[in-house]
Amino acid sequence: MKKRYIFIWLLVCLLILASGVAVGQKTQNAALSEPVVVSPADKAAIDAFEKQVKDYIELRNKVRANVPKLSKDSTPEQIQAYRTALELSLRNARPNAKRGEFFLPATADFIRRTLKTEFQGKDRKELREQIFETETQGVVLRVNYPYAQTAELSEMPATLLTKLPQLPKELRYRFVGRNMLLVDRESDVIIDIMPDALP
Amino acid sequence: MRRTHHFLFAFLLSAILFTPAPAQKLNGNATAAAKSAANAPLKLTLPVKEGSVKFAVIGDTGSGSEKQRNVGDMMVKYHALFPFEFVLMMGDNMYGGEAPQDFEKKFAEPYKALLDQKVKFYATLGNHDQALQTNYENFNMNGKEYYRFTKGKIAFYSLNSNYMDKKQVQWLEDQLGRETAEWKVMFFHHPPYSSAKKHGSDGQLREVVEPIFLKYGVDVVLSGHDHVYERIKPQKGIYYFVSGAGGQLRTGDVDKESGITEKSYDRDMHFMLFEVVGDEMYFQAISRTGETIDSGVIKRK
Repeated sequence: MKKRYIFIWLLVCLLILASGVAVGQKTQNAALSEPVVVSPADKAAIDAFEKQVKDYIELRNKVRANVPKLSKDSTPEQIQAYRTALELSLRNARPNAKRGEFFLPATADFIRRTLKTEFQGKDRKELREQIFETETQGVVLRVNYPYAQTAELSEMPATLLTKLPQLPKELRYRFVGRNMLLVDRESDVIIDIMPDALP
Repeated sequence: MRRTHHFLFAFLLSAILFTPAPAQKLNGNATAAAKSAANAPLKLTLPVKEGSVKFAVIGDTGSGSEKQRNVGDMMVKYHALFPFEFVLMMGDNMYGGEAPQDFEKKFAEPYKALLDQKVKFYATLGNHDQALQTNYENFNMNGKEYYRFTKGKIAFYSLNSNYMDKKQVQWLEDQLGRETAEWKVMFFHHPPYSSAKKHGSDGQLREVVEPIFLKYGVDVVLSGHDHVYERIKPQKGIYYFVSGAGGQLRTGDVDKESGITEKSYDRDMHFMLFEVVGDEMYFQAISRTGETIDSGVIKRK
């Protein structure tokens, strides 16, 4: 009888300890966790996307080499000149840029599923509202042209960014309503558009 | 409780000082309020000790409005009493366009007197700010969207809460992991805790950053985005401030029933002053017209 009590007591202690460790791990690692399920097909789609991104960066670096340099302590005039020059040069370098060039069907499918998972549940309702409330009037969804400078930028959910394919510092994901954009960070040129990405 | 706080004295002091005159109400035009402010006696609740770290905080400033300039003018007056060395900007530094004339109207002009006195501004990016603000000479961001600098025994971390990706999270962990400064102060645009009705607490951001703040013993978190002033009740030992009305205002936006507010103010624009003396961080929030709307001291442990 006494042995049974000791066993139960030990079991309870073990369960409490295990749950504590699990919670601790979740708290510390949530931000850097990998997507839950990445199938071989998803992996191939992500690889293809990353290859496209890498090619873009190579092209961008060539373009940028011919644009006046921007120092870390520039005047507003220098910032404007750099931004305009980069925007025009990028457009000229990709004359045939079109929608779907980066968000290929398999990549778009993976991203849509990731978004669906991330945005489901009651606790994510506010997240959707926050994105839809972003004032994006004046934004023309046109590949190779800049996001309107006067428009607000939607905050990209931190929890989502850890699950999407990682981007180099030159590129950004951005929402405009239900659409997801791939944007050049410095020039704000829209590189690609995924319509109705949000569920 | 990791820290203790002594706000009682500050509450009493604020209650005595906080008696808004009719001319200070928002119904009047900005010029009338500014004139009234010109006559308002300035009251400082900070110790103004030699050798202390003195700084100011402004948020959501870039409207280019007359009221933003009023706030800038009031900061200049307080600077004469309390010579703060630098200003932290909580983002939305520029609303509605960033042509050279916007930089002038929405930043350089309102704070010209401070810039002339070599006061440095350290900016963070808000949801209305373009990426290349990081390269603007007067924002001291050194071309980076997230960065760290130190003053005395304080480490300041400016984060880009618009885009908290894995790289930034990893950078933050790495930096905090080897941080030796006694005080750790974070500043970024979106508030992890806020009682404002328009935006409120940014839960998904908090989900990612709060565990890191707790793990590495962050002391104070400053943010903007909601166009009000709010001092949050300490959350898990961390002090949170929302200071998002340096150039924009949402009158009556604070939800008084949220349960997380220690002190709030949503009737006029404001700025904040901070002074760090050893293990004590004094703060004072001041309205556009010069009223002290909150003050107190945070003790570090």
